[in-house]
Amino acid sequence: MAGASVTPPAWVQAPERGNTFWLRFMVGVGHRLGWRAGHALLFPITAYFLAFSPRQRAAARQYLGRVLGRPAELGDLWQLYFTFAATILDRVWLAAGRSAGFEVTLHGLEALRARVDRGQGCLLFGAHLGSFEALRAVGDAGCPVEVAVLMHEANAARVKAVFDALGGEGRAAAVIALGAPDAMLRVREVLERGGLVGLLADRAPAGQRLHRVAFLGHPAPLPTGPHVLAAVLGAPVMLAFGIRTGPRRYAVHFAPFAERIGDGSRAGREAAVLASVEQYARALEAMCRAHPYNWFNFYPFWQEEAA
Amino acid sequence: MSTGSFTAPAGTIGPVVHPDTGLEQDLARLIVASLSLETTAEEIVPEAPLFGEGLGLDSIDALELSLAIAKAYGVQLRSDDERNHRIFASLRSLAGHIAQHRAR
Repeated sequence: MAGASVTPPAWVQAPERGNTFWLRFMVGVGHRLGWRAGHALLFPITAYFLAFSPRQRAAARQYLGRVLGRPAELGDLWQLYFTFAATILDRVWLAAGRSAGFEVTLHGLEALRARVDRGQGCLLFGAHLGSFEALRAVGDAGCPVEVAVLMHEANAARVKAVFDALGGEGRAAAVIALGAPDAMLRVREVLERGGLVGLLADRAPAGQRLHRVAFLGHPAPLPTGPHVLAAVLGAPVMLAFGIRTGPRRYAVHFAPFAERIGDGSRAGREAAVLASVEQYARALEAMCRAHPYNWFNFYPFWQEEAA
Repeated sequence: MSTGSFTAPAGTIGPVVHPDTGLEQDLARLIVASLSLETTAEEIVPEAPLFGEGLGLDSIDALELSLAIAKAYGVQLRSDDERNHRIFASLRSLAGHIAQHRAR
């Protein structure tokens, strides 16, 4: 379809098995010992990962160099890894909707609320930037609508297992797994009910529907699927990022992105989708520059042929 | 987007009475036109999988297809239909579902 196909990204080829263990570990620690003990453990955990993940470190170094505009130093890598570990710990509380003790500030909520009040469904495009779970706090903070999250099936199973372990009141039901032919029908039905559907628009599974656009100065393959979906549904899109700004501090940013992508006709769609991917890349880039240590794509994001 | 496997094992599609080949041809043309496929309607094998390794459609295609089917035949495909894996399995199973539910 739109854009050229490239080989499946590294993160699809090599499932991050270790992460399941660490996710469960953090959930266990968080549950039994509380946030403070969990947070203290982040220091040795960060040191461990920084020392023993040379491939991820190389990818992180490349990203940091590009986002900071200077060679990455050890301190930069530390901050990136630490922020990642911290968001995993915080997920224990945020995913379960227990945000007491957290300071979550909301930006751009008015635009979202206006939409919700009209009963208009909306797609939320996020990224592997900060904590998408922080968005859950919004539902608890006065946007009483159905919120569903669309994700790759392997991740969905993993997330579901963790949610089940947490016993968070039926939150697992809100995960729509990509991969079933009716996944997008589900998305449409949530939107029809005036709900919100979040998805992460920065990684493309299975090497399909990709388009290379400049990102931090170098062409990167971004998925066109989310934009095609919005175009087919004629649904409005907002950007949504839950940025970690400090210990138990998050800033959730909502921003209008598109009233609709394309004009509903198939003819002009491809061009509209490619323009939309470009627009997303610019918005994501700006977010990365403002919050460089919230980036959690620990694989060679640019997929350069001969790096 | 990956599509998983939608191929219903042989014999699970249900009591296929007589395939309505006229409807199948119509539907094949609708699939090709609504998804702007490069194959022709005649090239779609009625029993071959539509998704994954067959025609290679994905879940966004399924959405578009369901919109086109609703428009052309007045048949709504819903996500809560647990038979979806069978319905979307092939051109034949999809045509069979439409034949059963279309507005007359």
